[in-house]
Amino acid sequence: MIFAIAASAELTALEIIEKRDENEYIRSAVVEATMIISRGNRKIEKTMVSYTKDKNALAEFTNPADRGSKFLKRDDNLWLFFPDAEEIVKISGHMLEQGFMGSDFSFQDVMESDKLVELYTFSLLGKEVFEERPCYVIEATALPGKKVSYYRRKVWIDKERFVTLKGELYTQNGRLLKESKVEKLEEIDGRWLAVQSIMENKLRKNTYTRFIINNIDLAPKLDDKIFSLQSLR
Amino acid sequence: MFFSIYLGLKNLLRQKRRNIITILVIAFSFLGYLFAESLMNGMEEMSFESIQNFETGNIQIAEPDYWEERDELPIKGLVAWNEELEGIIGQTDGVIGVSPELKFPANLNNGIDEMSIIGLGINPKKYNEVFQTGEYFIEGSLGTLNDNKAVIGTVLAELMDLKKDDHIILLIRTKEDTFNTIDLEVGGIIRTPNPMLNSRIVLMPLDIAQRSLNVGDMVSMVSLKTSPAMPEKSIIKSLEDSFRVKKLSSQVYSWRESAADVITLSTAKKGGAGAILSVVLLIGIVGIVNNIILSGIERTAEIGMMKALGMREWEIVLVFMVEAAGIGVLGGLASCLLGYLSVLWLVSSGFNVANFGDWSQYGIPIVDRIYGVWNCQAFLYIFVSSVAVAVLSSIWPSYWAARKDPVEAIYRH
Repeated sequence: MIFAIAASAELTALEIIEKRDENEYIRSAVVEATMIISRGNRKIEKTMVSYTKDKNALAEFTNPADRGSKFLKRDDNLWLFFPDAEEIVKISGHMLEQGFMGSDFSFQDVMESDKLVELYTFSLLGKEVFEERPCYVIEATALPGKKVSYYRRKVWIDKERFVTLKGELYTQNGRLLKESKVEKLEEIDGRWLAVQSIMENKLRKNTYTRFIINNIDLAPKLDDKIFSLQSLR
Repeated sequence: MFFSIYLGLKNLLRQKRRNIITILVIAFSFLGYLFAESLMNGMEEMSFESIQNFETGNIQIAEPDYWEERDELPIKGLVAWNEELEGIIGQTDGVIGVSPELKFPANLNNGIDEMSIIGLGINPKKYNEVFQTGEYFIEGSLGTLNDNKAVIGTVLAELMDLKKDDHIILLIRTKEDTFNTIDLEVGGIIRTPNPMLNSRIVLMPLDIAQRSLNVGDMVSMVSLKTSPAMPEKSIIKSLEDSFRVKKLSSQVYSWRESAADVITLSTAKKGGAGAILSVVLLIGIVGIVNNIILSGIERTAEIGMMKALGMREWEIVLVFMVEAAGIGVLGGLASCLLGYLSVLWLVSSGFNVANFGDWSQYGIPIVDRIYGVWNCQAFLYIFVSSVAVAVLSSIWPSYWAARKDPVEAIYRH
């Protein structure tokens, strides 16, 4: 363990990010989760089941108020289906900035690709202790000319488990837009995953969204057909 | 023939009560048309004025790609606002105001809530040359639109609980699609006759918008105000020729192209007016046919007597047609008189639409009152229609009356 930590201390920012990605990247999964949206004293709870395979994902809400609402992500495209409207709508442009089912996660956050290494340049800002865990603090700045949602990101990555414990997302003019924090980690199938995290929109007061993973299967057998537009109806 | 005309006119006075009722039926039905026509034309005129005075100006200059997607407010396909373009526009006869504008989607944030709005970067001085917004400030003025000041409409201010000097944040995306924010202070509040400006637009200094969106000296489009003394078409042609010579890709669009939706709506409304007219004419026809048939029945013996004395069928038909024409003339005059009074009220006092909800949601850019407009042609049309309908609708019942057997007609009475 001591040797491992000593070796990791020599890692570059890019290597740390790659190790983090290696740990966090999920190729295939079925997740049962709860999303608690908090607006002042009001709390809204939504439950969902999501299916992920490579770059495709399907999320279906299961709480009574939203039962049947589905979101399909295929590569860089996102569609939604509300059973009441009985219509499939493609989310694009300015709509991507809206909150995902009224939460503090925007559609853009949900859509975020795993190609961050191609879009940002990384630098190691230092080391800090976050929630009693030693972390690397890494800053990602958008590469010139690249189309990215957040100009600058700051992440706190657990030095030992290579899992992101905290993230900050900044606008081009340096304003902190969103902050995410991991509240609970679990080791599942040999990898550390955040099972409870919180996202705050820093432009708005007294709002946050807590995301809790109730159950996760990292080796499901998923048919590609479930990621089709037909499956949305 | 003169005897038939004389008799027809005299008959007008014989059944005064019935004829007066028929005249009133015609008058009130045609009055409905004149009122609806004035209201609809007024609404159309006000809609078009509202669009030109608050949204588009008379002419707009934009890149064709942008124009196609302008409803999406893209931050691409922009026009370079530079000395060359300003020079070309400045040298064009008939242009009396030029306003470069940068329009972009944004989320307005007051620290508690967020709302999707349209940001509009303007040069206040130039904007004032083209648009009338400056005259509708409740607080502040266009002059306050400097540094990091913004101007918003009353509806937006109310929705977001904002007052003058409050701070707001606009969350935007730069041309690279990166999130950025603009910190602004509410420097002025407006209440214009244009619902869009009141509820969805945040006016801000052009240079701040350009800097925040990373677009340099680019603008979405340039709005122009033109002299009423010069035909719009000739100004557009002159600008197009200049752009061709200078090899600029920008295109020139009339405000009518911007307001295509409202114009389509207006055309549909005119179709509605046509439907009203059809109903009105039908009511008139029914009234006159009814009148002539009743006259025919009442005067069966008289018709028999006239035929027995040697009057021919067409002369009897003429008697009834003259009577009907008299009713049409009097009905038309009464329509015009009542129409004049109702349109006069509509033109001077207006019709308060605020009591009937928000009309802007139906694409009608009007708040408060709709004023009617005078249309002399409509009055003439109504008068001619009234006479024509009366005469034409009397032909068949007149023949019906004239073809009665004289012996049987006299015998039965």
